[in-house]
Amino acid sequence: MTDTVAARPVDPFDAHALNAAQGLDPVDPAFRHVLRISALFNMLPIAIGATLLDMFVVREMDGPYGLLSVLAWLLALLAITAFPARRAQRWGFKIGEGQLRVARGWLFRTDTIVPFVRVQHIDVGQGPIERWFGLSHLVVHTSGTHNSTVTLPGLRADLAAAMREEIRRHIQTDFA
Amino acid sequence: MTGSLAALPDDTAAQSAPWQRLHPATLALAIVRLGPRTLNFLPALAAIGIAGKWVYVLPAFGAFLLISLVTAWIAWARFRFLVGANEIVIESGILSRQHRTIPFDRIQDVSIEQGLIARALGIAKVGFETGAGGDKKDEARLDAIGLGAAQALRSTIRAHRGDAVPAAAALLGRDDDAKTIAPAAEDRLLFVMPPGRLFIAGLFNFSLAALAVVAAGMQLFDDLLPFDFNIFNPLDWFDLAERYGFEQWIVAHRWIAGVGALLSLLFIGFASGVLMMVLANWDFRLTREPRALRRTRGLTTRTDVALPVRRVQAAILVTGWLKKRFDWHELRLQSLASDGEKEKDHQVVPFGHLGEIDPVLAEIAIHRPDASQPWEHSHRIIAAGGLFGALCAAAGGAIAMMLGQPLGGLGIAAAALIAAASLFSARFHSWTDLPGMVAIRRGWLKPKTTLLPHASVQSIDLKTDFILRPLGLATLVFGVPGGSSLGSHEIPAIPLAAAQALRERILAAGARA
Repeated sequence: MTDTVAARPVDPFDAHALNAAQGLDPVDPAFRHVLRISALFNMLPIAIGATLLDMFVVREMDGPYGLLSVLAWLLALLAITAFPARRAQRWGFKIGEGQLRVARGWLFRTDTIVPFVRVQHIDVGQGPIERWFGLSHLVVHTSGTHNSTVTLPGLRADLAAAMREEIRRHIQTDFA
Repeated sequence: MTGSLAALPDDTAAQSAPWQRLHPATLALAIVRLGPRTLNFLPALAAIGIAGKWVYVLPAFGAFLLISLVTAWIAWARFRFLVGANEIVIESGILSRQHRTIPFDRIQDVSIEQGLIARALGIAKVGFETGAGGDKKDEARLDAIGLGAAQALRSTIRAHRGDAVPAAAALLGRDDDAKTIAPAAEDRLLFVMPPGRLFIAGLFNFSLAALAVVAAGMQLFDDLLPFDFNIFNPLDWFDLAERYGFEQWIVAHRWIAGVGALLSLLFIGFASGVLMMVLANWDFRLTREPRALRRTRGLTTRTDVALPVRRVQAAILVTGWLKKRFDWHELRLQSLASDGEKEKDHQVVPFGHLGEIDPVLAEIAIHRPDASQPWEHSHRIIAAGGLFGALCAAAGGAIAMMLGQPLGGLGIAAAALIAAASLFSARFHSWTDLPGMVAIRRGWLKPKTTLLPHASVQSIDLKTDFILRPLGLATLVFGVPGGSSLGSHEIPAIPLAAAQALRERILAAGARA
């Protein structure tokens, strides 16, 4: 955290270097599969819809038949194969020193710190795709209106539970 | 329901104090409220009428009124409350009964509100703020009891809280060592708005919002008006002049018609500003009570709100580019409780000099940075958003002009204006770190200074993006309890190292709390 990131720009295509430079731990590698499958569920209907539009509308109008389909499927392919791994690598977190730090994104990177004593309550959630890979996500609620929930996905279920216990202990000691 | 009484935790209180009902005048209020509700029933009546069964319209309407009144009466009869020694118990509901006990310890503030009719009837609506957060609908209220009873109830609760240890305050993590907020011994008047002040404030409150309403009304009722005169139409001013034989003179001095239209425009703007200010802030009084700042105000609807001092999260000073010249400022306090349904923060000084605001700030242990305080500026890159918008406007205008639409020139002119404004106001973003507090300034047209105690900060975002990162900049966004109508608290585009250092300092202060 103390080393100046700006002085030596980190290679934007090496996400591990980014997290390391900022003193963050990466999320579980299996998280990229979760992202990939949810991208699949999101992109497939869009690509199919674009193809149908192409077949039934563009062809009728003597438009550039095929262009839309090819573009949609290319985009879907990229979103499913290339992006999830990169997106997963750009999530980073650090727990300790009485605070939780969560960072995400590259183009628009947000690095959030929540002190444990400020946490109102904690959720550990698990969706069906996450359950498949044994992952959970941790949601931390604060009383602020901005950032009242901070979500950290891609944690092994046991790690998420351990983190919840750790944070809960702090909440208890603060209010006791 | 008497059976449930025995189950009350505080049995003695239940015996010593009798159950009370709401003021009977509440029923009169219910009748008044029927007026607007009848509107919902009108389509049904119209449907009956259109179906050709005009005979049934009147009986249906009568039945509707009767049922509404009977419902209101039963609701009144089935609502009762009890003020015990340590808590207030409210039982309500016609079919499904609701039994609610609120310990006095948990009541953060008691608000008293009187509408126009309620004032005529001498009754008031009493709301209990428990800090349960969020939903206003779920809040306990007595709607309505006599004004005297309401004030007595509040002093009972206040007296109770006076002895009690401030239990709930610690939950909010205020830094108690740094700012000892000793309970004030007695009530002190902090700020009032005399009529003269209201008038000046109203003049600065110049608003053309009412103008739109008047203009729309004139359009709509043009034929119905007893006079054929549209004050916004210069041609009408010509006609007026003609009638009085000014015709020759006016043709020679055409501008006089324009001046007439402009003058009436200005008059409406100022008059509506003064009217709105007087309606909202008539007899404005801000008093310091043992644990709260109490504000009463309003001409038609009088509200009485107590804002617990320990729950104040941040102070926001708002002024205007012209107001600032005359040293007029507005003070808003952000608190966990929201101010009524509409506003998220509490306006505690609507219009005052800094010399009057400072004592109020001192009551909540916040101090304004003095003139010698060095301020650090945000990078000018924050104008980029506005510049991009200007670019889009210019491009749109240029395309329109190329397509042969001369009005596209307006787009280009607007783009120049937007660009200039965003470049200029970017210079006014600055921040400074005071002991235990960070101050953020922004805006030129409407300068706004936020005084944010470190202890109020719940979380901090450090944001960078593809524009800020190459410049070595970052934006800090603070999560603060309670909302503000003036947006989130952020320091945009400051050097990354400074942002990281500031974040660490603030979090270290928070950890001590």
